[in-house]
Amino acid sequence: MSTTIASAPARPPRSLILWAGLILVGLHVATGLLSLVWLPYEPTGMVGMRLEGPSLVHWIGTDRLGRDLFTQLMIGSRIALVVGIGAVAIGAAIGVTLGILAAFASKWLDDALAATLDILIAFPTLLIAMLVVAASDTASLWSAIVALGIALSAIVARLTRILAKRVLVMDYITAARTSGSSWPKIVAIHILPNIWPTLSVNFALQFGLAVIAEASLSYLGLGAPPPNASWGRMLQEAQGTVYTAPLGAIAPGLALVSLAIGVNLLADGLRDSIDPTRRAR
Amino acid sequence: MTTKTILLAATLLAGVALPAAAFAQDFNPDATIRIGSLYEPQNLDNTAGAGQGINEAFNGNVYEALFQLTDAGSVEPKLVESYEASEDGLTYTFTLKAGVTFHSGEPLTAADVKYSIERVTAEQSKSSRKRSLSTITGIETPDDRTLVITLSARSISLPYNLSYVWVVNDAATDITAAEDGTGPYSLAEWRRGSALALERFDGYWGEPASNGEVIYTYFTDATALNNALLTNAVDIITSVQSPDSLAQFSGNPAFTVTEGASTTKELLAYNDRVAPFDNVQVRKALARATDKARLLNSIWGDYGTLIGSFVPPTDPWYVDLTGVDAYDVDSAKALLAEAGYADGFEFTLDTPDYDPHPIVAQFLQAEYAKIGVTVNINVITANEWYTKIYQERNFEATLQEHVNHRDIVFYGNPDFYWGYNNPEVVKLIADAEAAGSEAEQVEKLTQANRIIADDAAGNWLYLYPQIVVSAANVTGYPVNGLNSQFFAYDIEKAE
Repeated sequence: MSTTIASAPARPPRSLILWAGLILVGLHVATGLLSLVWLPYEPTGMVGMRLEGPSLVHWIGTDRLGRDLFTQLMIGSRIALVVGIGAVAIGAAIGVTLGILAAFASKWLDDALAATLDILIAFPTLLIAMLVVAASDTASLWSAIVALGIALSAIVARLTRILAKRVLVMDYITAARTSGSSWPKIVAIHILPNIWPTLSVNFALQFGLAVIAEASLSYLGLGAPPPNASWGRMLQEAQGTVYTAPLGAIAPGLALVSLAIGVNLLADGLRDSIDPTRRAR
Repeated sequence: MTTKTILLAATLLAGVALPAAAFAQDFNPDATIRIGSLYEPQNLDNTAGAGQGINEAFNGNVYEALFQLTDAGSVEPKLVESYEASEDGLTYTFTLKAGVTFHSGEPLTAADVKYSIERVTAEQSKSSRKRSLSTITGIETPDDRTLVITLSARSISLPYNLSYVWVVNDAATDITAAEDGTGPYSLAEWRRGSALALERFDGYWGEPASNGEVIYTYFTDATALNNALLTNAVDIITSVQSPDSLAQFSGNPAFTVTEGASTTKELLAYNDRVAPFDNVQVRKALARATDKARLLNSIWGDYGTLIGSFVPPTDPWYVDLTGVDAYDVDSAKALLAEAGYADGFEFTLDTPDYDPHPIVAQFLQAEYAKIGVTVNINVITANEWYTKIYQERNFEATLQEHVNHRDIVFYGNPDFYWGYNNPEVVKLIADAEAAGSEAEQVEKLTQANRIIADDAAGNWLYLYPQIVVSAANVTGYPVNGLNSQFFAYDIEKAE
């Protein structure tokens, strides 16, 4: 009886979730890497006719200019991964630093930082990113990545602060302090390793957020400028032809969804295997 | 067999008879015509930078001018009863129609027309025809129905240019948000951001409108606009902007699709003042490296026209110049080498962020890569375009759709944003304006047209089609999109 409750029958086994996530994300990583060395066609080459349907020559057809959609989709995978990794790296660097500083700071500074973070989090990620892009001179892939990184950093900072504070009240920290350990040493030896599992799960979720947010920015014309084949731009360009050539919109949409779901499943699976309370007995 | 024949005959008969019946069917004289458009005006004054939307809604409907550019492209008297020009062509005397009143109830006088012309030529005016009317040196009003205009030089297109001058009551205030014109409709309501309603003006001097009310509903998204027509929320779409949305309407008996002539030209404009675009050979090389037929097909499928120049077939000085600098990559490369750019060059293409410009920019980027020319696409908003390019001329090359009718005269202005300066063309265009006859004007402008094409002053990519889609029970709307005007007064709706 007790085992039935503990194993939560409605939930698929955690290894399945983890594997599904790994496969989906792995597929995109493999495609992105492959696109560096091989593409079916020149990315900007107008190799076919207008809006060709799927065929052996063009697997998912062509766009209005006659460019191969599969080639663009592959480049889209690469762009999505670069954006996800870049934005999460920037968000993590800023967020973890701020969060730890807040956790160690005096009460007054901590309160001020926490309030600022709460205000920042109250704004939608996309809105902050749009503000950052608008403030930079021209839209580029890098400005989008930096914008998303900054937008994500507030969420990371708040989480880091809470996790770090939880660790800071532990007896072994007091012990380390009394034995004369320096702050950087405490952070490196005690805090970071303790909060890392939770943070890394959160990073995976942020990765998915960043990919979707970049697609939204590109859809709005604020992301990678043409001819970068971001999925968001592909969606935007296919919008007018959605009735006559629906695959042009469906394909990047599916790619986006599969990567976002993959990352979420991966995060879920990771949490299950890291979190001891969820471990199957 | 016989049954089949009879059936066939019956079907044919029905096929012929039904539309005729639809036309014969009485229309509702008080119907509300709901027009869907993508072009909401910024304000209600065509001298205050209101955009093409105000022309679509107000020109000929709310405001009238001394002359009117008809849907067929001819210029006809509107508020003018008769006029005559002096022998030297420097004095024009206009007699105004009698019995014309403004929507406010005040009668039309020559003083109103004088006031209206001066609004267009005023310093703060943003009218595209301001420069064309700059030869006017004096306007006199000897009596209420007589207007005498004196010119510093002959101006054969004065009547044409006056068709751009909306006659406004000189007592009207704040016409950026209200109106007082003489047209068949008065403004009922303007809900900024969504709709503009016109109602039939009962005191109209001419033939009253065939419908009681016209509502322009504005959309920012073409798909939403198409859906509005499909769900019967609007009766007409003034200008369909993508061939792909037509699939929903063509072949469906509930809708009528018409293709007329437009005056909208997609232009790759160079800044002819800066290197390398000050070099004719470079411009010609780019023209030859552009597969325009393929581009037109990419954007418009089977619609649209290649014109090879800035002059559309509805302008009297049109000639087919598609043969000048026709698509030929090898000769493009040779020309570039001759110009000293054997290794190509790099330039920034300022691209407005709305369709079709971004996709056109990508097309050009791919085409010019073949001759070693690198295009950097810089996406900008319509407002940025106006300040950065039109006002500050701070650009290398740009894309723009030019909607005006008879606008080759812009090439006679060396101060225009694209900076094309050929004294021969400036002289031809000035001489054409001073011509004694229309034949002479046409001859000079045709010559100017050939020269700008030979100079590859710009890269004229294609002429847009003008596609109107309506519900089948609506007829009588204009099919051409000259200057994006859309006369609503003849529209009939069967109910």
